[in-house]
Amino acid sequence: MRREHTIADRVTSSALWRSIVRHGYPDTQRNQALVIASNVFLHLHPVKIKRYATKVTYTFCLGGLSFFMFLVLTLTGVLLMFYYVPSTDQAYTNMQEIEASVTFGMLMRNMHRYAAHGMVIAVFLHMCRVFYTGSYKPPREFNWIVGVILLVLTFLLSFTGYLLPWDQLAYWAITVGSEMAGAAPIVGEQAQFLMVGDYEIGQATLIRFYTLHVIFLPLAAALMMAVHFWRIRKDGGISGPL
Amino acid sequence: MAETIQRPSGPAGSISEEKRQRLLELVRGRTAARPTDLAEDEVMVWPSLVVVEALSAVVFTFLLLATAILINAPLAEIANPTVTPNPSKAPWYFLNLQELLLHMHPSLAGVIVPTIALVAIGAIPFIDRSPLGVGILFTSDKGKKITIFSAIYTFVLVVALILFDEFVGVTATLQGTVPEVVYQYIIPVITMLALIALLGLLIQRIFQPTRREMVMAFFTGFVVAFFVLTVVGTAFRGTGMDLFWPWDVESAH
Ligand code: HEM
Repeated sequence: MRREHTIADRVTSSALWRSIVRHGYPDTQRNQALVIASNVFLHLHPVKIKRYATKVTYTFCLGGLSFFMFLVLTLTGVLLMFYYVPSTDQAYTNMQEIEASVTFGMLMRNMHRYAAHGMVIAVFLHMCRVFYTGSYKPPREFNWIVGVILLVLTFLLSFTGYLLPWDQLAYWAITVGSEMAGAAPIVGEQAQFLMVGDYEIGQATLIRFYTLHVIFLPLAAALMMAVHFWRIRKDGGISGPL
Repeated sequence: MAETIQRPSGPAGSISEEKRQRLLELVRGRTAARPTDLAEDEVMVWPSLVVVEALSAVVFTFLLLATAILINAPLAEIANPTVTPNPSKAPWYFLNLQELLLHMHPSLAGVIVPTIALVAIGAIPFIDRSPLGVGILFTSDKGKKITIFSAIYTFVLVVALILFDEFVGVTATLQGTVPEVVYQYIIPVITMLALIALLGLLIQRIFQPTRREMVMAFFTGFVVAFFVLTVVGTAFRGTGMDLFWPWDVESAH
């Protein structure tokens, strides 16, 4: 056993620390492998990968960036939920309060909004990267389809969030959107009613969009991301030149 | 645990010694702990990949923070069903569809075209199944040229079509003289199909592409059309959804 010198040594050799972290300092290959394999989050990754897969100019980090934006949105979204009530009487006032009197409220709202734009852009560009590197080819066909579903979920997440501030921008954007759904052949009227929950946009619409936005769609997206990431591993990791 | 491994369903001894060793190792949970033999072209995820991820997370956290500090998200007046803003616009990523809406029947623009586009995108891996070009950006030099050709082709034509419809106007010209279905459905559908077919034909003639390269031409067409429609719908449409210069759109709003 090594003699303990520093506080860091003491901490890392304590029973508590060792009950949580089951590897030594990652300066040996063995410990570097253990860091990844013994951590539930990191073990999304394999222990070692092809060198080209770490090149920024191959993935442009876009998949990771999409995921990062999703995490930021989850965090800032939860904070916004503390103050926001999905009622046509209160929603708009809540927004004003978040901006004017909640500590860092404006910052949270801004970050939530820009991360939402960022995620739409990142996901779309990620799709382009995957396409132009031919990474959809077998065995990755299914993950491409999972991706397309994620793209749609991303649009829907963003779209349902757009109504929540209950301002003129929100109201009329969703009006335009729901009219587009209403134009669907055969089922248009039903689709629009299902979406709006009424004959015009109001409380029924707000609660629908809210519920979809804060529970259903994030869960669905998280689920699909789990499948997406798992499939990357099962398909042999990131694609690369043959 | 080890006992379950020792009880194979087949006759005893059907597991080779080497395989048994490996299974045992798996059971003891040591595989990951074994010092990994790194091949020439491999690196350890910790630190090589994790560093890139952590750094980009930091960079983008700062970028987001900086933007959020510098620019405030818009909050207009409270929703009012009796006051329709002119123009009323969808969120920007749907303005491509709203732009299409100006040129054809709403069911085409809002539902049929996007649905077909999504299904076609989903079908790509089943159309192009050859492993050719995996992992190489644009596959080949020819692929790069095809991508550029398709991008220019689509850009020029989509812009031209938008300008044509604005200043000559298919609907404006034909309204009242022919049934609605002609300018709301038939002309737009034929135009779209013809331009896609023409792209395919030109690519075929000029480049003799592989299937992968042909798919690249069409996908590029989609991306560029999506991009042009989004930008025009967002930055160039003002009052009455007429065309304006971007710097005039704000004031028209
Ligand atoms: C919320 C949306 C999404 C997230 C968070 C996400 C995340 C990721 C990540 C982290 C990777 C690893 C490689 C990289 O970073 O590029 C990846 C790979 C992949 N993604 Fe996505 N993705 C999303 C949407 C999509 C979309 C829209 C598509 C395609 C339509 C797609 C198709 C793929 C495929 C086929 C791979 C494997 C690529 C390869 O092996 O090189 N993903 N995704």
